[in-house]
Amino acid sequence: MNIDIADVTRQFGRTRAVAGVSLRTGSGVFGLLGPNGAGKTTLLRMMATVISPSSGSMRLLDRDPGSHAARREIRRRLGYLPQSLGYYPGFTVAEFVEYFALLKEMPSRQVPGAVATAIERVDMGSKARAKLRTLSGGMLRRVGIAQAIVNEPELLLLDEPTAGLDPEQRVEFRSLLRELGVLATVVVSTHLVEDVGAACGEVALMDAGRLVFHGTPDELTSRGVGHSVGDAPLERGYSAVLAAARS
Amino acid sequence: MTDADLPPAGPPDVDLNRVWIGVAGQVWRRRPGRLERSAAALLRSPGLARALLTTPSLLVPWLLASIAVLGVGAAATFSTGEPIVTMLAPAVAAAGIGYAYGPGIDPAWELSASMPISDRMVLLVRALVVFAVYAVLGLAASAASGIAAALTFGWLIPMTVVSGLALAAATVARSANVGVAAGLSGWTIMVLAWRAADGRFTAAITYTAPRATVYLVLAALCGITVLCAPRVRKGTS
Repeated sequence: MNIDIADVTRQFGRTRAVAGVSLRTGSGVFGLLGPNGAGKTTLLRMMATVISPSSGSMRLLDRDPGSHAARREIRRRLGYLPQSLGYYPGFTVAEFVEYFALLKEMPSRQVPGAVATAIERVDMGSKARAKLRTLSGGMLRRVGIAQAIVNEPELLLLDEPTAGLDPEQRVEFRSLLRELGVLATVVVSTHLVEDVGAACGEVALMDAGRLVFHGTPDELTSRGVGHSVGDAPLERGYSAVLAAARS
Repeated sequence: MTDADLPPAGPPDVDLNRVWIGVAGQVWRRRPGRLERSAAALLRSPGLARALLTTPSLLVPWLLASIAVLGVGAAATFSTGEPIVTMLAPAVAAAGIGYAYGPGIDPAWELSASMPISDRMVLLVRALVVFAVYAVLGLAASAASGIAAALTFGWLIPMTVVSGLALAAATVARSANVGVAAGLSGWTIMVLAWRAADGRFTAAITYTAPRATVYLVLAALCGITVLCAPRVRKGTS
């Protein structure tokens, strides 16, 4: 299991952002759905080892991120796209991706090829030498994805990766996700139910810090039979599960 | 002439995609200069060397770190000369530098926090660079001003040495905590040595008003620059 977390909570002051989440998953694309404030980003940040859980146990890539040496090893094999990608506007696309490849401690000789591959995979080759300050929101998102996949991570965490992408780019991105999910565990947090239906083999739904559903997209769809809220079958399943969790 | 009559586009065993990636990688790569190569060898980490050389390009964090360094110098100078002030001065300066490159100021902090190179190692590198640059500027100014010489030799150079010691220890031990412990020990020994030599703690950072004024003027200049810095310096999507 690349992700094995049990009864994990995360408290910010009096607010409990994540309240007793347990999750186990191996390779494949895993969709994390939920409304705003459900705790998806906090859960992803814990998996990215940016923040630690307040309680509960967590193992990532068969290692305990609580130990310094293990955390370092996990981070070498990790790719992470935060919800709000911070960047240095004066860097070019290639410089930005290369900077994080070096911070991921990739061997120097492999870096140029890995950077070029990552940039081409997100279709940003024509902008490789453009300054980040000149790019659109969708292009910046793709640069963020490139830095996340540059080290061919075994665990890839993407927070709202399709925000700002146009429909054509989203279709291409889903194809990239499926490709990456063959070998790695890819966790995608998103509001867009159709992304989950198209690319994910497994899906979890969070509400108020808790996991209220875990199964396949088909199982989520089946929960929506007879439910009227939502335009697509998967949306109706999403709405039905949320309504049941809140009732 | 049909397609079948045309010669093949290239040798059949050549993977053009792979060739392109190889070419693109070489064309797009940023070739490290001599300074970066030396830093990478010294620090045993190309990533840390790149983070070090990126520091000056992060204008706002750099200036905020400068305010911390020079402001702490001023505070220590205005103090009553109590040993505790001198002892705590580097810790306060380090906290200021840490804040300057922390969340909310450094745009890519969230990403950096998920990297295997410890953010504390990056902080040690940046602290050394902040102090070293000001020490060099101070040395240059020392030729023209006795006050600048006192400031440079009393605060900036000792702190550069301590930062360098901390970074060296951290690099050898591959642990930022070891580096911090070595730096604090070095500073303590330095302060105690000054006291032994002069019979008082205030030899390092003297309390005369003109010297403190220089610190404050420099800190104020940095502050003004931060306020006037273009917003485009920090980007988020």
